[in-house]
Amino acid sequence: MNTVVSKLGQIQASWDFGLDNMPSFEKAMQRVYAWYENEIIDRAPIRFMAHNAFLESETDTLYQMTPEQREKWWFDAELQVENFSKSIDGRTFHAETFPVYFPNLGPDVYAGFYGAELEFGAVTSWSVPCVQTWENTDKLALDLNNIYFQKIEDLTRCALDRCENKFMVGYTDLHPGLDCVAAWRDPQQLCFDMIDAPDQVQRLADLAIEDFETIYDHFDNLLKQAGQLSVSWMGIPSYGRMHIPSCDFSSMISPRFFEEFGLPILEREVQTMTHNIFHVDGKGVARHLNAILSIPEVHAIQWVQGVGDDLPIMQWVPFIKELQAKKVPIIVDLNKVELESFMDEMNPQGLFLWVATENEQEELEILKRIERWT
Amino acid sequence: MDQTLEPIYNAVLNGDKDAAVENVQAALDAGTDAGVILQKSLIPAMEKVGQLFEAGEYYVPEMLIAARAMQAGLGLLKPLLVDSDVKPTGKVVIGTVKGDLHDIGKNLVAMMLEGAGFEIHDLGTDVSPDKFITAIKEENVDILAMSALLTTTMPMMETTIKAVDEAGLRDVVKIIIGGAPVTTEYAQKIGADGFAPDASQAASMAKRLVA
Repeated sequence: MNTVVSKLGQIQASWDFGLDNMPSFEKAMQRVYAWYENEIIDRAPIRFMAHNAFLESETDTLYQMTPEQREKWWFDAELQVENFSKSIDGRTFHAETFPVYFPNLGPDVYAGFYGAELEFGAVTSWSVPCVQTWENTDKLALDLNNIYFQKIEDLTRCALDRCENKFMVGYTDLHPGLDCVAAWRDPQQLCFDMIDAPDQVQRLADLAIEDFETIYDHFDNLLKQAGQLSVSWMGIPSYGRMHIPSCDFSSMISPRFFEEFGLPILEREVQTMTHNIFHVDGKGVARHLNAILSIPEVHAIQWVQGVGDDLPIMQWVPFIKELQAKKVPIIVDLNKVELESFMDEMNPQGLFLWVATENEQEELEILKRIERWT
Repeated sequence: MDQTLEPIYNAVLNGDKDAAVENVQAALDAGTDAGVILQKSLIPAMEKVGQLFEAGEYYVPEMLIAARAMQAGLGLLKPLLVDSDVKPTGKVVIGTVKGDLHDIGKNLVAMMLEGAGFEIHDLGTDVSPDKFITAIKEENVDILAMSALLTTTMPMMETTIKAVDEAGLRDVVKIIIGGAPVTTEYAQKIGADGFAPDASQAASMAKRLVA
């Protein structure tokens, strides 16, 4: 443990980064770095925010808007950054809850960088499939002057101008690989293609990872030049290169198809990163975990148990224990009413809890309880 | 299984559209009744596909190509079924609720229902309560099937059910709902007649509701 702290101490010494509203920033980073190594300094890390909490703001207003008005809303950099900044006004960030703004145009924005058009909804956006025939594949090319690429840059710069000592600025949600192919082709069509035209799927998959490093580096450089750490929508920073690989599309396909089409991309995607936290979007993706964890660069996973019958968390305790036994650091998103029974059942090794709270008092009370969790 | 029907069953199971068409035609040429082909090969094949999906042996791609093969074979049978006045198991209007553009789950349910002998009126995605109501009236359906994949769009199911009720149609149709955030408890709470966790079970539930 001392090794992690002392190595991190050297890194932190070369950084001049702090947040006025997060007094325990450095200690929080130590806990995060220990967690990356499946270790604990003094207690398990905890973030007082639910998965996808960022999607819930403004929803009612957006439902009333026309599609054009919605796009304008998503594209309004000043408004987006202002909204975020206001949302954290007067708040003190406890534990490992980092105030992070990340520029967001929805999960298909990576596909949009290559020419797919995005349609904006109230909480997310969708791509309009642009590979209608295989000839269209030839037209796909990364364009750094693309409207979405430029807007992400615009949002990033706007946030960097206003973030000083108040919040961190992250990079956008990047989904190269099969999720990008699904956005280009349409997810249902891609299911057919995997059987009807595997060579064409392979071609698209190769294209969907080809420029990933260029795209990642572009935004990483922009942020690093402004003195920012590496962080994205998950809100877990790294002083190096942090990435959130995922493959939500894989929830629909067999392990054989994932290993054929998804795994080679994942291997390339995680290669140059310091820290990779794989986003496992429910039990459909979890069936590929052995393959995912066969890649040594995947350091940790975020377990999203889903909604509906996939709640509550306690049904997943055996699954989480299995991952603990494999020494895989894991993020667990749970409801605060589940916290006590969850802690009773589990030991904290390798766990990073995410809990949505109502107020600061509640956070401090939970923190006291977490400190006693062994 | 009859020698003329088994190749059809296998073609659907293997997702071989061409073989399904070829063998349905061969069965028809051999004088097999269209209703028999439907009841004894296409429907059982899709039931088996559903079982394989539930057992984790088939995934969405395998299910989709099986349904495509079934639909291709059914295409040859439909005019003959109409001519011989064979009634569908029931009529279903299906769609993803307003504000939600997800369609794969809904499409799979539609395919499985079609494979179970239902006549399907698919309204697509982002379907308003008014559109559902119009379709219920115009198509004289037995079942309204709604899908939602987001917790934010799920309440639109309740809104639609209330609108159906206010339009005086609640006693006319059975309502089934599905989608990732939906549970049996939620279905009961909003006054739906049933919830199915996957496409295969949706087909079984629909059959029970119209029995």
